[in-house]
Amino acid sequence: MNSHPHNTFDSHTGSGSGSGEAETTLRLIAGLPAPEGLEERVKAGLHQTLHQAPRSASLLRWPLATRLDPTRSGSTGAGWMNSNWARSAAAAAIVFVVAGGGWEVYSRIQPAQEPKAIALPPVAAHGGFSSANAIRTPKTLNGAVLTHPLADAVAGKKRPDSAKKPVKKAKAEAAKPVAAP
Amino acid sequence: MEIAPSAVQDEAREQVEEEALEALVGQYASTLYRVAFSILRNPSDAEDAVQEAFLRVLRHRDTLGEIRDHRVWLIRIVWNIVLDRKRRAKTRPETDDVAELARVLPAHGLSAEQRAAAAQNHAHVLACVDQLPAKEREVMVLSAFEELTSVEIASVLGITESSVRSRLFRARNLMADLLNHSRSLR
Repeated sequence: MNSHPHNTFDSHTGSGSGSGEAETTLRLIAGLPAPEGLEERVKAGLHQTLHQAPRSASLLRWPLATRLDPTRSGSTGAGWMNSNWARSAAAAAIVFVVAGGGWEVYSRIQPAQEPKAIALPPVAAHGGFSSANAIRTPKTLNGAVLTHPLADAVAGKKRPDSAKKPVKKAKAEAAKPVAAP
Repeated sequence: MEIAPSAVQDEAREQVEEEALEALVGQYASTLYRVAFSILRNPSDAEDAVQEAFLRVLRHRDTLGEIRDHRVWLIRIVWNIVLDRKRRAKTRPETDDVAELARVLPAHGLSAEQRAAAAQNHAHVLACVDQLPAKEREVMVLSAFEELTSVEIASVLGITESSVRSRLFRARNLMADLLNHSRSLR
């Protein structure tokens, strides 16, 4: 039934009676004739569509496009816009303009500059171990030395802390048991 | 009133395009119908699909000159239309196929009973074909068209020729399994 030399069914070796039966059925369906008058109906449909709706323009027909056509001046038909070369050139020009605009915008936007100097954490002066946040405190100064009698200097006033210490020391010494001579 | 020369040229061009389109209808409408019917299995739906295919061609008639193989191009258009319709339609019951096949199958001197039995058998086979995976089914249905080579089938489906062959091989094996299984259940 199949007469085409390169059809895939021709090289069928058969993988079982089932597939052969299926192919017979499918060929039978594929070989059914088309109904009578199909072509006329399709042509009538096309003719009706063609004369009902105006021809849909696939290209923009600018007046400029037709005016610039040297061979068809003043015409409303397709001008230089129908030329593939001109359409490619127009497309390339549009791409160029869009890309150029994008590049201009991109080039105007400058990213925030990074600081040139970087603050490093303090390093120990002599190398080796760091101070580890330890605060150096100076040695405590000696207390104030009493040069005048206490009663004359600050009579009736509150005595400074430094003045208390000798009194406390004196009391403590008085409380100590007297050692035997 | 003077008629612009461009208007005359437009009319002449449209006339040429219309004639070319009518020539395509005359040459390929039957093939397209058979392709559509093999999938839709309904005469009116198949005819609608053919009409729609030529309407699409009408809309893109400016590109007709760029097409190398009109037959494959048209089959591809109608194939996409019928697949789309098949996808949207509900599953076709087997009884519909039986009735339709009994009506359209050639008699060849068969009695009415034999014809009914043949139609039933074919409808059952078609129901099994419908159970195949889409890729294998499409290749199997298109391979049944004797005028289509495997290269053309590959072109219609947008795959390579080796894919056509491997899918057809799988389809045959699956088909044999399906039919054997359904017979064992009967």
